[in-house]
Amino acid sequence: MTSEEQKLEQKPVFKVSSFQYQNANKKKCVWKGLKQIITSEKALPWPDHCVHYGSINAPPSFKPPEKFSDLSGLPAPYTDPQTRLRFANKDEYATMIDLPMDITAGYLTLRGATSIVG
Amino acid sequence: MKNYKLIYIVIFLCLKMELMEFTDTKCTPDIIHTYSSSLKNNSVPLVIDNGSYICRVGWSVNESPLLQFRNLIAKPRKERLKKDTIEVPQTPQLQIGNDIVNIETMRFQLKTQFDRNVVTHFEAQEHLFDYTFTHLGIDTENCVNHPLILTEAFLNPNSSRQLMSELLFECYGIPGVSYGVDSLFSYHYAQPKPLENALIVSLGYQTCHVIPIINNQTDFENTRRLNIGGWSIITFLHRILQLKYPAHATAITLSRVEELLHTICAIAPDYKEELMRWTNNDYYEQNIKKIQLPYTSASNALTLEQQKERKRELARRLTEINARKREERLAEDQEKLRQLLEVQEIIDFGAEKDEVEQILTEFELKNVQELQKAIGNLNIRIEKTKQKILAASNIEEIEEPPVKQAKYSKMVFESDSALHSFLDNAKKMRQEIVTRKLVRKQRKQDIFKRRTAAGQERMRIISQLARKEKGNDDFGLRDEDWDIYKTISKDGGDSDSETENEKLMELEEILRIHDPSQFEEGVNLGEMHQLHVGIEMYRAPELIFKPYMSGSSEAGLSEVIGYVLSLCKPEDQLKLASNVIVTGGLANLPGLRERLLKDLISIRPFKSEVNICIMENCNLTSWYGAREFTRKGDYSKYLLTKNVYEECGHEYFKEHLASNVYYPTPKEITIDVDT
Repeated sequence: MTSEEQKLEQKPVFKVSSFQYQNANKKKCVWKGLKQIITSEKALPWPDHCVHYGSINAPPSFKPPEKFSDLSGLPAPYTDPQTRLRFANKDEYATMIDLPMDITAGYLTLRGATSIVG
Repeated sequence: MKNYKLIYIVIFLCLKMELMEFTDTKCTPDIIHTYSSSLKNNSVPLVIDNGSYICRVGWSVNESPLLQFRNLIAKPRKERLKKDTIEVPQTPQLQIGNDIVNIETMRFQLKTQFDRNVVTHFEAQEHLFDYTFTHLGIDTENCVNHPLILTEAFLNPNSSRQLMSELLFECYGIPGVSYGVDSLFSYHYAQPKPLENALIVSLGYQTCHVIPIINNQTDFENTRRLNIGGWSIITFLHRILQLKYPAHATAITLSRVEELLHTICAIAPDYKEELMRWTNNDYYEQNIKKIQLPYTSASNALTLEQQKERKRELARRLTEINARKREERLAEDQEKLRQLLEVQEIIDFGAEKDEVEQILTEFELKNVQELQKAIGNLNIRIEKTKQKILAASNIEEIEEPPVKQAKYSKMVFESDSALHSFLDNAKKMRQEIVTRKLVRKQRKQDIFKRRTAAGQERMRIISQLARKEKGNDDFGLRDEDWDIYKTISKDGGDSDSETENEKLMELEEILRIHDPSQFEEGVNLGEMHQLHVGIEMYRAPELIFKPYMSGSSEAGLSEVIGYVLSLCKPEDQLKLASNVIVTGGLANLPGLRERLLKDLISIRPFKSEVNICIMENCNLTSWYGAREFTRKGDYSKYLLTKNVYEECGHEYFKEHLASNVYYPTPKEITIDVDT
């Protein structure tokens, strides 16, 4: 019980001492994440004119994404079929083929190009 | 002469300037401010800009926020209970905000109350409010007797606001609260004369918003939010640099990258053009930013002299120990000799036979002959030891432990030409091995690619092996037949053998000894710990214009601006485009205005008016705006008091110019069934 006492002592004076987060069954509170909040908000029957957090997301891009080299960031006309990395010139290619797997995988995840289909 | 000196100094300075270093600024813990009676008695409003990056707190009478801290909590791990100690391990103190002196050491224990830009974790929020009010020095019991102006996310979900109100009213007993949106506060109150129509572009830490304001009304319906912000840029840059310098992955920390974003990052007015410029070598050399990582020079730094000194010291100690041992042994032997001689004397004086035998058995001797033998042995030993001591004392001064020879000692050559030819030979041999290795590697790569000669040859052999010809299959009759499998194996026949590697090492060692200049130069420890940041300083911030660079499918900032404009009526579009206001922490990035202007002009009708204005001091404008809000006479009208809170429901709040819009949460669908 000592820890409980300590907690009470530490509580700043300006706080209402009785206040405590708890559920009905006195379990520790689990906070909903933003995604959960959005989905539960969406499920409600809002009037038509209402806008809420989940409805103002930016639209998907309508422009085709440009291709940039994973290593240098330069415009990349080529893709290595083995590693799927993009590269801009032969010097980059030379360094690229020496890269270990974890680095090439790192570049791909950074670009979000890890799906097998893409 | 003087001129030369000056030039040298200038060059030296230039070189120095080029090399940057991380400052690694550490937080200084906040002081506890005094809570004066004028604050206490007049219930002065308290302004809190609760941003997902930094929280800014100050009284409405303050010129600038009193507290500015990262909205972070660090919970240090509990120390394990040790077996030996009886005392209970103390739970370490929670570190909040600026208490966290070095963020990097706590990186994995960090927590924030935010999920994206919305407060969701209210236990953490409670800790941060505790921190805030404590450091303001508030000492009233069971209440914080000040109305609060608090910023929240654009279109903050009702549930989040409800929990916030509950926390404020029920835990801190505040008299009233007014919620507002940070960027709207900045627009409406932090500027001298805000226009009636504006397009606010707010670039935050977690999100970016494009908010149209028409006739002083926030157009909630046409606002769009980009889920990308300063944080995304920082993590992106962090990862790029880590991948570029895998050896320094741990030295490249998030806080250091954040520092880079604040110091050298910029937005390219024309990204493509900027990239093309970097392909030029001269431009690269001139504009590359070199950053020195901290490093400690390795043990190599000990000079040869120091190493020698250390060895000498060691040798001296050894000889001392040896000398002491010898002397001890000498004394022991002499003592024994004395005793034995006494026994001899007793015998010589003609003692009784019984007595003699008794004494002899005491010394573990059988008869008189053995006694004499033992005496002789001892004499010889003593003589030897004495000689050794003498010899050691003579040598001690001269003795120098031979310098530990390198594995391959330096050979002596009759002439320079002999040395040269020897070296050339060694070099040639080394080169041969290196090329052999390279060729092998190339082959290994080629073999797995189509359309290479090696690959095709391999495929041909495989198909030939697979072909079944009846009758004349004599494969395996000769041992050489099996070699074909070697040629098509992964290693392409032969791999880097151990002996070859050893030979290479040996040759390199020899070359290093005889021709150190070749290997020593260029290996500078400092240079090895440098980061070269070039295109990356444009590439990372470009992320807000090209979210697809990190795999997001969202449109970029310029595209979203264009999209938001397209949602509005044509006459409004004109008004909005002529007054674009940029705010938020990222608005400080150099080049942002030019870039937005360029992108906007390209999507607006020919010769239509486009104006972009970046707010001054955009880090603090929302706090200033919120403060100005309290200074307007009628602000108390917009306070949500405890009574209203209890009456209208916990999610209710009062709308005002810079606030969100209130939609009461509808009841869940209940299907009434008539009975």
